Amino acid sequence: MSGPGRPAWRHTLRGRATLTITAVTVALSAVLAVGVWLAVSHYLLVGRERATLAQTVANAAQVGRALPAPGLSPEQLLAQLPRETGSTSLLARDDRWLTTSLRVGRDDLPAALREAVAGGTPARQRFALQGGTALAVGVPVEGGDAAYFEVFPLEELDRTYTVLAAVLAGAVLATVPVSLLVGSWATRPALRPLDRVSAAAAAVAAGDLSARIDPRGDPALEPIAASFNATVAALEERVRRDARFAADVSHELRTPLTTMLGALALVEGAADDLPEDGREALGMLREEVDRFSRLVADLLEISRADAGGGADALEDVRLAALVREALARRRRPVPLDLGEGAESAVVRADKRRLERVLGNLLDNADQHAGGVTCVRVEADPPRARVLVDDAGPGIPEEDRTRVFERFARGRGRERVPSGGSGLGLSLVTRHLRALGGEVQVTGSPDGGARFVVTLPLAEEQPCGS
Amino acid sequence: MARTVLIIEDDVRVRRMVQLTLQREGYQVTEAATGAEGLARLAEHPADVVLLDLRLPDQDGLEVCRAIRRAGPTPVVIVTARADSDDVVAGLEAGADDYVTKPFVPRELTARIRAVGRRAQPDDGPTSLTAGDLEIAPLAGTVTRDGERIELTRTEFRLLTELAAGAGRVFSREELLDRVWGYGYFGDSRLVDVHVLRLRKKIERDPAHPAIVTTVRGMGYLVPG
Repeated sequence: MSGPGRPAWRHTLRGRATLTITAVTVALSAVLAVGVWLAVSHYLLVGRERATLAQTVANAAQVGRALPAPGLSPEQLLAQLPRETGSTSLLARDDRWLTTSLRVGRDDLPAALREAVAGGTPARQRFALQGGTALAVGVPVEGGDAAYFEVFPLEELDRTYTVLAAVLAGAVLATVPVSLLVGSWATRPALRPLDRVSAAAAAVAAGDLSARIDPRGDPALEPIAASFNATVAALEERVRRDARFAADVSHELRTPLTTMLGALALVEGAADDLPEDGREALGMLREEVDRFSRLVADLLEISRADAGGGADALEDVRLAALVREALARRRRPVPLDLGEGAESAVVRADKRRLERVLGNLLDNADQHAGGVTCVRVEADPPRARVLVDDAGPGIPEEDRTRVFERFARGRGRERVPSGGSGLGLSLVTRHLRALGGEVQVTGSPDGGARFVVTLPLAEEQPCGS
Repeated sequence: MARTVLIIEDDVRVRRMVQLTLQREGYQVTEAATGAEGLARLAEHPADVVLLDLRLPDQDGLEVCRAIRRAGPTPVVIVTARADSDDVVAGLEAGADDYVTKPFVPRELTARIRAVGRRAQPDDGPTSLTAGDLEIAPLAGTVTRDGERIELTRTEFRLLTELAAGAGRVFSREELLDRVWGYGYFGDSRLVDVHVLRLRKKIERDPAHPAIVTTVRGMGYLVPG
C-alpha cells in the first residue's frame, strides 16, 4: 500500500474527508462546551448571589433590630449572626468598622460599594480578595446610620468552574481522536469505489491496458467507471493501432524487399563481369539491402514484442543448452563458460524470445564491438544470468541506459554503417520484459562491454541433468 | 526432380524475379497473377510444385490452396508476408506442404522448392511397411487399410513413412523436420505439428485418440512398434 511518491495521508481524499469531519465535530463540540459553560456558570452564580443576598438581608434586619436594644455589644451581635463558613460580616457605624474576620476589613471592600451603601442603596459587587474572588453584599441597616456588609469568598464556585471547564475541555479534546476514528471508518465504504478506480489506474500505469473498472454494485461509480473505461479503451486502441501500423509498414516493405533481394542475387551472380567500381557499388548495395531487411524484420518484431502475453509459448528451457546452440550457429566460435550449477539451470520462457535475445546480443557485439569474447552462464537462485562480453572499447557509464533505446547511436563518433537496424538492443529489453527478466550493461574485465541478462529460474528445477 | 513450377503471385516484379531465379536453376516456370488464373493453369498443365502467395487480389490464397489440394497431391509452398503463427498455420491447415516468408532470398526459395519436389519422388527404402492396421507401399506411394486406399499428400506420406520405418522409436520434431522437410534446426516445428494433425484425420479411426501416430509429451511423435 505504500511506496515512493505516495501522497501523505492527509492529502488523500479519505484523509481530507476524515479531517473535515473531525474539524466540524470538534468545532461543534467546542461551541456546545462554551454554551454549557456559560449557562451553567451563570446559573450557579445567580443561585449563589440569590442565597447570599437573602442571608445578608436577613442578617442586616437582625442587626437593625438588635442594635438599638440594650444587651449585646455590636461585636457580640455580629459574632452570633448565622453565617456560612468562611463568610465575613462587617458593620459600619459612625465611621467605625467592626469585622468578624481579621482578614477582611473596611479597606478590602470596594469603595464604590461602600459609597453606594453609605448612600442608602443596597448593593453587591464581586471583587478580588487576597488572590481569590469574593462577593460582597452591602445593606443599609434600618433606622440607623449603619451599614451591614457580608463578604462571601467564591473559592468554592471558582473550583466548580475549574472542574466544569476541565471536563468540558476534556470532552472537546476527546472528540478529536474519536471523530478521527469514526471519520476514517465511515469514509471507508463511501470511498471504496475510489479504491477500485485507483487499482485500475495503477494497472493501466503498469502497462496493462486491458484493465477496466467494474462498476457493478455501485451506482455512484458508474459515471466515472464509464469515462475511465472509455479513456483506457481509446488508449488501448491507439497503442494497438500504432503497433498495427508498424506491422503494416513492415509487411508493405516485404514485397519490394523480396524483389530487391532476388534481383541483387541475380546481379551478384554476374558480378565478375562488372568493372571494379561496379563491384564495390554492388557490395555497398548488398550491405544496405541486408541492413534494410533486418530493419524491416525488427520493425515487425518490435510491434509483436510489446504485445507479449497470449502468443507466448512458455516452456522449461535449459539455459546452458540454449546458449550452446545459439553459439554453435555463429560463424566464429565463441568460448562458453559455465558457472556452478549453470548446466542444469532451467528457466521458464518462450524459446523464440530467448533465442532472439541471445541472437541480438551476439549480433550487437559483432556489429559494434569487434565480436564476442566470452559468454558465461551463471545460476544464482532464484535467478540465472547470461553474461556476454565483447571485444569493443566498452560503453561509457553515461551511455549505458541509452544504448537500449531505439536507434541509439554512439555519441560523437563517425557514423559507420554497422549492418544493425538500431532496434536490436531495444528488442532485447522488450523480450526480456515479457519474460520477467532484464538486461544491463557493465564493463568486462578486459575493458569491453558486458551485457548481463537476468532471468528468473523456473520454480521447480528438474532432478538430474 | 521437380522441373515445372507454377507461381501464383500478384506482384509482377516478384513474379518476374522468382521466374528469373528459378529459370537459372533449370526450372520451367509458368505464372499466374490471380487465384482463378492459377487454378486454370494448373488444370491445363500440371506442375511439380506450386508457389502460392496467400495475398491475392481476387480470392483468399487459403481458398486457392484448398482447391489445389482437392484437385490432387501437387506440393504447395505458400508465400506470406506474415510469419505470425495464424497465417502460417492456416496455410498449412489448408493443405500447404511448406512456406516461405517475404522477404525471402532466392537460395531459400530454391531450397524449399527442391525439398518439396524431392519429397514428391518415391524414396529408396523398404518396399512395404506397416503402421497399426495400415499397409504402406513406399515405392508406389500408397497407403491402404483393408485393401482400401487412403489419399495422402506427399508430405503426409513422407511423414508417415519416416515414422513407420522407425516404428517403436520416438522422433523429435527437429528430427522429423530434417528428415521430411530437409531443414536443419532452423525450421519451424509447427510444420510438423500441423501435418501430424492432418495425417491423423486421414488415417486414425478416432483422431481424438490417436493409435497409429502417438504423441510422446515433451519428446515428439511415435508409431508404436
